[in-house]
Amino acid sequence: MAQALTEAAILAPRLERPAQARRTHSAISTSLAFWLLAPSFFLLFLFTYVPILEALTQAVSLEGFGGKPIGYGLGNFQRLFADASFWKALWNNLVYGLGTVAPSIILAVVLGVALQEATRLNALLRTMIVFPVVLPLVAVATLFAFVLMPGVGLLDHHLAKLGIAATNWLGSPDTALYAIIGLSIWKNAGYYMLFVLAGLQAIAPELHEAAKLDGAGPVSRFFRITLPLLKPTLAFILVIAIINVVTQIDHVIVLTGGGPSDSTNIILNYIFQAAHQQGDSGRAAAATVISVAALLSLSVASLRTLERGMHYES
Amino acid sequence: MRLVRSMALAGALLTMAATTAVAATRIDFFFPVPVDGALAKEMQNLVARFNQENPDIEVTAAYTGTYDETDIKTRAAIKAGKPPAVALMSANFITQYHIDDLVDPFDPLVRAEGKTPEDFMGEFWPALSGNARVDGKIYGVPFQNSTPLLYYNAEAFTEAGLDPDKPPTTWEEWVEDAKKLTRHEGDKTTRYGIMLPGTYDILGWTISALTLSNGGQYYNPDWGGEIYYDTPSTVGALTFVDDLVHKFKVMPEGTIQTPAMNNAFFGGQVAMIVSSTGSLSFIRQNMKTPFKVAFIPRNVRNAVPIGGASLIIPKGNSQERKQAAWKLIKWLTSPQISGGWSRFTGYFAPVKAAYELPEMKEFLDKNPDAKVALEQLAFAKPWFATYNTVAVRKALEDEVQAMLSGKKTPTEAAKSAQANANALLKPYVDATALNLPK
Repeated sequence: MAQALTEAAILAPRLERPAQARRTHSAISTSLAFWLLAPSFFLLFLFTYVPILEALTQAVSLEGFGGKPIGYGLGNFQRLFADASFWKALWNNLVYGLGTVAPSIILAVVLGVALQEATRLNALLRTMIVFPVVLPLVAVATLFAFVLMPGVGLLDHHLAKLGIAATNWLGSPDTALYAIIGLSIWKNAGYYMLFVLAGLQAIAPELHEAAKLDGAGPVSRFFRITLPLLKPTLAFILVIAIINVVTQIDHVIVLTGGGPSDSTNIILNYIFQAAHQQGDSGRAAAATVISVAALLSLSVASLRTLERGMHYES
Repeated sequence: MRLVRSMALAGALLTMAATTAVAATRIDFFFPVPVDGALAKEMQNLVARFNQENPDIEVTAAYTGTYDETDIKTRAAIKAGKPPAVALMSANFITQYHIDDLVDPFDPLVRAEGKTPEDFMGEFWPALSGNARVDGKIYGVPFQNSTPLLYYNAEAFTEAGLDPDKPPTTWEEWVEDAKKLTRHEGDKTTRYGIMLPGTYDILGWTISALTLSNGGQYYNPDWGGEIYYDTPSTVGALTFVDDLVHKFKVMPEGTIQTPAMNNAFFGGQVAMIVSSTGSLSFIRQNMKTPFKVAFIPRNVRNAVPIGGASLIIPKGNSQERKQAAWKLIKWLTSPQISGGWSRFTGYFAPVKAAYELPEMKEFLDKNPDAKVALEQLAFAKPWFATYNTVAVRKALEDEVQAMLSGKKTPTEAAKSAQANANALLKPYVDATALNLPK
């Protein structure tokens, strides 16, 4: 739900552009448009806006013992901020975000540029790289449970050949989060590469030819032409990546449940625990409001920053 | 047009015919399956059989995921005003359902049959009544139950010069055997003596088993506001586990994921594991080398907690639906059905009479490991259940995981677990034991 909302907010300003060009709508087609949009608006209202309002009211509703309502206020937020587990989850989410977003986007750009030419080999390699995208995250997590198994797993099996002893990747608070980060990069880089490939198609080959004639090498062509023109694509990927950091937790639930010792507990899992394991819906709602607000402002901010000085090709 | 009209008419007639022919009470039954998919299918088969034998009742069995998910879905359904008539609920969640006033007691239904609640509970193994009866009333009818067991690799025992027919019975012997069973190759350990599961839920259960074996009580069985983490019995159990890892080095460091533990057992990388009797069928199917099971070794006494699930009737059901639910529950817990389910799953049958049946006697003769599980039942105690059980359990588990990774000592772990658990229990304590005349 949070994802749909942020995406809508991001896409809205873009959709306006072509609409402004055709302003001579008749009243009939406007009302037709309204009726055509009505069903989706109704569903959006029912399953997105109403839950948002409910989360907001729940966040400020205070409950006594046994769920008896006792009034309204900011008590849930106070309890949330006083909870060490919340700050731990926030910190974990930050580390997880920094650890997954930048590496997977860099990897996506490198792979996209490397496999840009439509040769047969490249098509095969692209398919292989995109493969993790089509697997459900739950299945990937189950797969990685075996890859990461201490001593006998695929990873330790190969590390043993390099003389590295068995590591309890998911079982140690020092490594568990990084194991989860590795999985996320593996899962998402291929997806982001698809956008990079699409973005690269939009760059006119004449620009590269002209630069080549002027004697520019591949490295300077990448930094002077490819990268600046990929900026709109990268802005989009960045937003998607940030949303993924907050909304994907299937792998955490399957592999660690947030443990050991809360070391892989990220915000969404924290919310789940507060709501369903501790029956504390007020604190869960407060955490939801905070995380959706943070997600929205982060997405909008990153889009704004990157849109500044963007080179759109008409 | 005429076609449409006649079809509508036919449809209406059919519906009327259907409703008059079978004026059945329709009820929902939520059930989880913690182990594997074959169980869900078998449960659907059972319910289909019940429906056939009882044309006046139509039960819809809904598979609702794990124990935790079933709890969430049942609560959501109650909140939405559409409670299932029957739910199979993790036995240690029932206390919380009672505190939240979400379950109906079975006592009136039992009395209507001319039985006293004591007679009724007397049909089940005594260890089960602690979780089924809360505040003197029956809120759950035991359906599938388990205890933790020691599983050991018989071949590894022989290889290490130990007798596979003499498993360790005390912690002393357990450590001695584990030392002999642990094998090194250079600085690499190729086989560990012991592994204990370290993931949430089963970790708390395992620690409580060791605490009970150490003479402890672990929680206050009569009132849900107290848990005993920072006590000699629990600290002793935690120290024992920490020593297995850091002093005797017979168990790997860090949290051991349950699938990793099972895999290591199947592959011979560990000689002894602690797991539920509910895993018996699963391990029997996957273990290639001979294995045996034994009681959990003791330090002070033989004692283990029960696990498993009971059938409950959530609040908000009509009298008619309650009667139908009661009929289903009685059928599911009858010796015949209960025994069949036990043989199929590996859980033990909660009804004592199930073991009087000839097919059950034959089964136990063929499967001596199932017999060991049954014998340990004589030493079983209730499963810890407090206000906010899952969070209170996790308060200890997080600290034990830190201890297993060498980040905390057992004493530190017990202290902070107790402090965190007390904070979680506070609302209930304030509303009950500390709610004093003003």
